[in-house]
Amino acid sequence: MDIVEVLKHTSPALFLPDLQATDKAAALAEMVEGLVSGTSIHNPDTILQMLQSREHLGSTAVGPGIAFPHGRTLAVQRLTILIARSHAGVDFDSEDGQPTHLFFVLVAPPQDSGHQYIKSLAALIDRLQDAGLRAQLGEAADYDAFCAALKGA
Amino acid sequence: MHPQLQLLVALQDMDQMIRETEESREQLEDLGFRHEGLEALKNAREELSGKIDPSLASWYKRLTARWGHAVVPVVSNLCTGCFASIPSSFVSKTNVDKVQKCESCGRLLYWP
Ligand SMILES: [Zn+2]
Repeated sequence: MDIVEVLKHTSPALFLPDLQATDKAAALAEMVEGLVSGTSIHNPDTILQMLQSREHLGSTAVGPGIAFPHGRTLAVQRLTILIARSHAGVDFDSEDGQPTHLFFVLVAPPQDSGHQYIKSLAALIDRLQDAGLRAQLGEAADYDAFCAALKGA
Repeated sequence: MHPQLQLLVALQDMDQMIRETEESREQLEDLGFRHEGLEALKNAREELSGKIDPSLASWYKRLTARWGHAVVPVVSNLCTGCFASIPSSFVSKTNVDKVQKCESCGRLLYWP
């Protein structure tokens, strides 16, 4: 799946350019709040509980400075992606112990034909291997600039 | 939402996470994810399940064995399990006194 396809599942309302939280629990709560206010999703508690369970399974901070909190929940009816950025960095239990500055939160419904969600996750992880791109994303002025950098435009 | 339904939804999300982790473990680990907390998650699942009313818990178990999913969203007044229409009167009762079942298939109903 290419990045243009992946970005169809997000929107300017799902872009948090300046996350305030600095610890994991507060960051997850802030991002779930962003998901609910940026969409017609109603049940933040269910989504938060799912994302917390996923972190108990193992931290999703797997990229250098990047985390991909993700999972399926009955609370959403279509794949929805929230993008968040923290200038200060969040302690997200990353493998290398470094703070996390970029977050891609993927929440998917229980069933999605063709595993859209895993494919989107894989496409993002692959694209974000590029250190130059990660630096660009950290500095992108707004949602459009952020997406343009991701698309490589 | 009824507190028991909230627990059932969380339980189903957790069951799916455990199942998917086991089924797609290799693929997810190739992407860099780790799953060292799987056993702890299974314990948390048992703990959560213990908070559910026994009759609902056994209904959940029967439905899951039969259909894969016990709780289904109601979309456009339809049970998305069997596509029977759900009387609008169900909606007004949702938050009150009981967990609602589809009259046609018995699945537990959730309004997303
Ligand atoms: Zn039904």
